[in-house]
Amino acid sequence: MKHKVRLKDMAKPAEVLCPLAVTDLDPVPGYEERPFKQVKPEWKEKYDLSLDGFSALALTPPATKEAEEELVNKFLRGLEKLFTKENNWTFMQPTALSTDYCVRCNTCNEACPVYVESGRQDIYRPNYRSELLRKIYQRYFTTEGRLLGSFVGADVELNWRTIYRLAELTYRCTICRRCAATCPVGVDNGLMNRELRKLFSQELGIASEGVHKGGTMRHLQTGSSTGMTPAAFLDTIEFIEDDIEERIGRRIKIPIDKKGADILLIHNAGEFVSWPENPAAFAILLDAAGIDWTLSSESMGYEGVNYGTWYDDFQFARVAVAQVQAAKKLGVRRIVVGECGHATKALVEIADRVCVGDLAIPREGCLPLLEQIVTSGAIKFDPSKNNFPITLHDPCNMVRLMGIVSPQRNVLKAITPPGCFREMPNAGVMNYCCGGGSGFAVMNSMNFPEWRDSVASRMKAKQVLEAFSDCLDPSIPKYYCAPCSNCKGAARDALMEYYGFRDKYNIIYGGLVELMVNAMVDIEKPFVSWEDEF
Amino acid sequence: MGETFSWLIAGPFMYLAVIIFVAVTLKKVVTIASMPRHLRWDLYPIAHEGPAGSVFQKVEFWKQPRAVHLAYELAEMAEEIFLLKRTFLYNRKMWNFSYPMHAGFYLIIGWIGLVKFGALLELIVGLKVSGASTVFWAQALNAATILAGAAGLVLGLFGCLGLLWMRYTDEDLKDFSSPVTFLNLYLLIALFGVGLVAWLVEDPSFVLARGYVASLYVFKPAVLPPIMTFEALLLGIFLIYLPFSRMLHFAAKYFFYHNIMWDDEPLVAGGSLDKTIGGYLHFKAEWSAPHLKSGGSWLEQATTNPAKPKEEGK
Ligand code: SF4
Ligand code: SF4
Repeated sequence: MKHKVRLKDMAKPAEVLCPLAVTDLDPVPGYEERPFKQVKPEWKEKYDLSLDGFSALALTPPATKEAEEELVNKFLRGLEKLFTKENNWTFMQPTALSTDYCVRCNTCNEACPVYVESGRQDIYRPNYRSELLRKIYQRYFTTEGRLLGSFVGADVELNWRTIYRLAELTYRCTICRRCAATCPVGVDNGLMNRELRKLFSQELGIASEGVHKGGTMRHLQTGSSTGMTPAAFLDTIEFIEDDIEERIGRRIKIPIDKKGADILLIHNAGEFVSWPENPAAFAILLDAAGIDWTLSSESMGYEGVNYGTWYDDFQFARVAVAQVQAAKKLGVRRIVVGECGHATKALVEIADRVCVGDLAIPREGCLPLLEQIVTSGAIKFDPSKNNFPITLHDPCNMVRLMGIVSPQRNVLKAITPPGCFREMPNAGVMNYCCGGGSGFAVMNSMNFPEWRDSVASRMKAKQVLEAFSDCLDPSIPKYYCAPCSNCKGAARDALMEYYGFRDKYNIIYGGLVELMVNAMVDIEKPFVSWEDEF
Repeated sequence: MGETFSWLIAGPFMYLAVIIFVAVTLKKVVTIASMPRHLRWDLYPIAHEGPAGSVFQKVEFWKQPRAVHLAYELAEMAEEIFLLKRTFLYNRKMWNFSYPMHAGFYLIIGWIGLVKFGALLELIVGLKVSGASTVFWAQALNAATILAGAAGLVLGLFGCLGLLWMRYTDEDLKDFSSPVTFLNLYLLIALFGVGLVAWLVEDPSFVLARGYVASLYVFKPAVLPPIMTFEALLLGIFLIYLPFSRMLHFAAKYFFYHNIMWDDEPLVAGGSLDKTIGGYLHFKAEWSAPHLKSGGSWLEQATTNPAKPKEEGK
């Protein structure tokens, strides 16, 4: 069922404005929906779940009228700052243009997987959040809004409900920017969503715990968003060396803190914790290709993530600067970011205009390097070792937002037998997000994961089923290749656990490098296996 | 009285409207253009990179010359401007009306150009642009003017009526349409509609229009018949209103594409972008969340670690 929720309704008292149920959602072929879990009564009492019955932020409503007034005032002060160059030189131009020139044509709506898969619920429209921002901005900061009010659309009341619902709503968008790619004018609702998150974080101190407290703050405190300290990192590397020895029958010494190396490789540290076979595969490949590389054990130097990308310019800048400083200290020639989409986008591209002066050291993503390894002939690959159906996920950050489309395909073509690799629908720059974008993959508070897996990842689930539609039989092992740590997180939680693809269809997931090592002639035992839990 | 009114509208008011339109549009464009350079926020494919695609696909991309092919950028912009490519691809229903409306505008702009050109010819060379002329290209200019004007008015009116119908009947569009959205459409409908009536009733060969433009050139504004006076009033109002409205997206769109989605200029140490951004780092940011340093410069903020002092204090 579609719940009609007008923009004006955001301010209205209602237990839940858009009470989402699984029956509202667009069906996934062959999947039997399980009803959402009942919300715990103590949550209902304490937290605001009045947007859609879910909470990513665990916000408690203000206790007094004064507290509400303070909240409203702070929000307005923050909103004003988005439009001043001193406070927001980083994104003022796109924000101001996106505020003024949307023609309200709704073209962006159908591009959004969250909106479409939710059964086209009004509140998840890409332009819903932006329109609320515009209406509030108009009402409080423009002459026509003050004078003409609802005639020009400045008709949304600003109270704690509006603010809290809007805050929650900013964590219902993956910032995949698929909407922006379809907007005829160029308005970027993904950016507007990020600007709103930024306002909440930088002015009101409101942000998702997984992204802020357990993310960038922990990153800045311990050296990694996983909480892995430099000492723990060194232990992990030893463990990976043991693991490699067990898998390939010889020990590889992973270079750490090698001064003046050609490449400093920075992984998403989540790999070391959850998918150590990925950094292991990198080590095997780079070693076999004779590349002069190193990892850094410096605090921040072994962690590629930058969760500030999704919500806070200052946290973004702090992390990016520290990462580049770690590379500087080692005196490497260039940084290569491992299989992590947002880390690549953040460090290679966005940070380009933060890391000025002597911090402007060359940085690139790993996919072109992997392609070079394949085409250089430094390693011999036997494609027949990857003789199983494979489909490829295009991480939004690397593909739509950086244009890295062909290297991963060229690698796959070189290391798989003909007919095994199949594209999923909308492959390339118009891909769909895995559902883990914008921090969703690391946001696990309250009942948010249920929303994420069931709504945000739903389109990806359908795409994967479509790509493998001719070989869904579980007797055929299949590989969902996602060269991005966050996308793998989403694959693990949503595709494998929530939709049960592993048990039902025998689909496993993993990165690109694992497939490369699996195809190496020199390595006897399969590196990719359907027996182990990856 | 009627004549004075007509003269006031067709003369001083029209001059004023054109001046306001040009001045406010320029001011807005300058304001947008002088906003600070933002962080990179690319969206691919970037047109000027051409078929080779993103530079990030290459190893050590910074060593390669930057691919900026103006022709590809212009081709993409032309498709967007003249065919409304994205609306065609992603919102066909709206394109069915939005395209005729935009085509109507382009034709009318072309028509204005032809009328101005004809007026100049008449003024300078003394050649009469008319279907009865014995000079071939005066005849051709006359035919082109009539065709552009009539087609522009019909298409524009059709497109605007269709868009109005969509906004009234499409439940999803309704909530995103404030009264001013409807006002904009009504204004355009009036502009195209009255123009069409004026053409049919008062000026089927645009002789009066051409004469009127010529009179504006020599600062002796002509008196117009009633419907044309009304059309001039509407046009003046439209010109004054346009740069204040979201219809200025025709100018903003350039910045959206060229300066935001397709701004892939890399920062080179010591280069001008490096210096510009280096300057921004001295801005004082006033955000007040607990993890930020109140009153600190951007540079101080970026090099402060809010998690560290706590650790040391333990
Ligand atoms: S953001 Fe773009 S596509 Fe969406 S409603 Fe606005 S103008 Fe249309
Ligand atoms: S950025 Fe992605 S998730 Fe967010 S509104 Fe746009 S299409 Fe939807």
